Amino acid sequence: MLQRFLFLQWKSFTRGAGFATDLAQKILMSFAWICFSAVFAGLAFITFQVVQDDMGLDPLVFVSDNLLYAFAFWVVARYFLQKMPIVHIQPLLVLPISKKSIVRFGLLKTVLSFFNLGNLFFFVPFGITLMQQDYNPHGVLGWWVTIGSVIIATNFLNIMLNSVDRILIIVAVLLAGIFTLQYYEIFDLTTWTSPLFMVSYNQPLFAVIPIGLVVLTYSWSFAHFKNKLMLDEGTLHPKTETHRTAELSWLDRFGRTALFLRNDIQLIIRNKRARMAVWMGVGFLFYGLIFMSDIYSGSTMMLFVGIFVSGGFLFSFGQYVPSWDSSYYPLMMSQNIPYKEYLKSKWWLVVVGTLISIPLASFYIFFSWESYLAIIAGGIYNIGVNAHLVLLSGAYTRVPIDLASNKKAFGDKRSFNLKVLLLSIPKFAVPMFLFYVGVLIQSKSLGLILVALVGLLGFAFRNLVFGWIEKIYQEEKHETLAAYKQKNT
Amino acid sequence: MININLLSKKYGKQTVLDIDILNIPSGQTFGLVGNNGAGKTTLFSLMLDLIAPTRGTVTNNDIVVQKSEGWKAHTAAFLDEQFLIGYLTPEEYFTFIGGLRGIKKEKISTALNQYADFFHGEVLGQKKYIRDLSKGNQKKVGIVGTLLSNTPLVILDEPFANLDPTTQIRLKKLLKEEASATGKTFLISSHDLQHVTEVCDRIVVLHKGKVVRDEKTSTDTLQKLEAFFREQL
Repeated sequence: MLQRFLFLQWKSFTRGAGFATDLAQKILMSFAWICFSAVFAGLAFITFQVVQDDMGLDPLVFVSDNLLYAFAFWVVARYFLQKMPIVHIQPLLVLPISKKSIVRFGLLKTVLSFFNLGNLFFFVPFGITLMQQDYNPHGVLGWWVTIGSVIIATNFLNIMLNSVDRILIIVAVLLAGIFTLQYYEIFDLTTWTSPLFMVSYNQPLFAVIPIGLVVLTYSWSFAHFKNKLMLDEGTLHPKTETHRTAELSWLDRFGRTALFLRNDIQLIIRNKRARMAVWMGVGFLFYGLIFMSDIYSGSTMMLFVGIFVSGGFLFSFGQYVPSWDSSYYPLMMSQNIPYKEYLKSKWWLVVVGTLISIPLASFYIFFSWESYLAIIAGGIYNIGVNAHLVLLSGAYTRVPIDLASNKKAFGDKRSFNLKVLLLSIPKFAVPMFLFYVGVLIQSKSLGLILVALVGLLGFAFRNLVFGWIEKIYQEEKHETLAAYKQKNT
Repeated sequence: MININLLSKKYGKQTVLDIDILNIPSGQTFGLVGNNGAGKTTLFSLMLDLIAPTRGTVTNNDIVVQKSEGWKAHTAAFLDEQFLIGYLTPEEYFTFIGGLRGIKKEKISTALNQYADFFHGEVLGQKKYIRDLSKGNQKKVGIVGTLLSNTPLVILDEPFANLDPTTQIRLKKLLKEEASATGKTFLISSHDLQHVTEVCDRIVVLHKGKVVRDEKTSTDTLQKLEAFFREQL
């Protein structure tokens, strides 16, 4: 039975819209993966060296101490990023396959996620280094089993978080509580957990306990899904949302563009996937806080942050234009709509998003005026140049978006292709270069002015640029329609 | 209205459509029948420039569809659910479609009253999104969307499929009335020979991508068509 499921899975993977891309992209992807794994393996060795030599601590104890943070972070990251295992079960339900094996396959499939396997890149080289440094090999083995078990247990926990809101609330409260206790140094939980991880090193046989944890979480989610394998249970069909009215009659004054804008606003209000893009935009507003230390002030990074903070929505929403309309693209293409108007409404949307972001980001003034000026300059560049560029790369993205599904925002690796990647250079590298040149010639202010000037220039020539983009969309029209015909696999 | 000259569509080596000549005069109710894979949807998709032909062009009201977008102004089409916007309510969808044709909101509301029978109280005022409607009701929305658009040319792919028997009868009546009252040109494909002969003035049979029969509808058309398809057994 398993091999038949694997066959289905393999077919859905190789016949998906994204797999049949050009060779260059495949090479690029594999190269990225090799780099990625090398970086993580390197990180493992460096951790070992730094902790042992520079900090004078036992690397194993140090890592065990901090594992709790890693796992807490992992739980949160998984919840937001990991794709849920929607095997396309509907056609399987009436076939002579036991429900048990359908659920088993769906659950086991999640184990193969990057969120589990990616850890190998760090923990395997780290463990090997330990063994080379005369740590007890059996102990390391036990330690590995413990960590692996906890990782896989969080995997199954995450499945439950995604399907049962009550559990989500409990875990969220728990995590928040632990964080507060830890942050205000009321109670340090790591003093408890660190020995727990170390036990399996000192006594490898204790690794049986975390394996029990895996069995427990697995059977929990197994039982949950087995009972829910009904068409009307919401496991297979996302919940129908209640009606949200949106009259939006104030938009009427914008004429024909209003028709599209109203549609787009309804798209955002009524579809989880699109709402997610807005929340990501809001999240990016705070992106700069990571960089608000002294090290970064005045560097070219300042502008990078400025572009991201003001353009969060522009990127998160704009990168999927026109994919947002993929489920009814044939309608759009046969209605009485000139491409220009369609593009213009999308352009307005991302521009308005940016215009709203800029005043919202004004809290950066508390850190420094300079950083806020960088956000404004970045915003102007976003409006003048990047708003066009996201539309342009949209012509090549061609990922059909299933609006109703609960797929995570980062789920679509398929949107990653060479042309889109190349187009991201002018989005970031060019303004950073301009800023750098300005600093070299005179000052940061000149750098910011240069960036803003190019933005204004782009804005001034927007009609010309729209003409080009329109032409490209027209050339790509049939290919885009064909790609959207393929539903998400 | 529609002129097709040496039009063909190939996928690899397989020819899915190959039409030498086909002219559809304005005001005609044109029926297209054929088995699965005969090329009906392909033909409609080519007319709407949704796919690119391997050879030839479609001319819609003297506009070459493959070259200019001008045909969109006088053409409305409903092929499948990809012509519906799932997250809108039917009312919002009609306002959107109508708005694209420059029809005022109030006018659309009055026009919708005309179709109250056809909707059978299951579509309007339900506070439901189109994606949550049944297949049949979605189809009703799509069909009415094309009729509301007030275009001289309406293209409908399989309009009778998924509809309940009562609605099928209503649709036939509706299409006949629209055709005679407004002089619109209708292009309709169907698997249901009886419906299509009842509604259309002219029937074209596609078989493996080629036009194999083309005739004006008369009393014995249905019998002839049934005989033709029986031969394929």
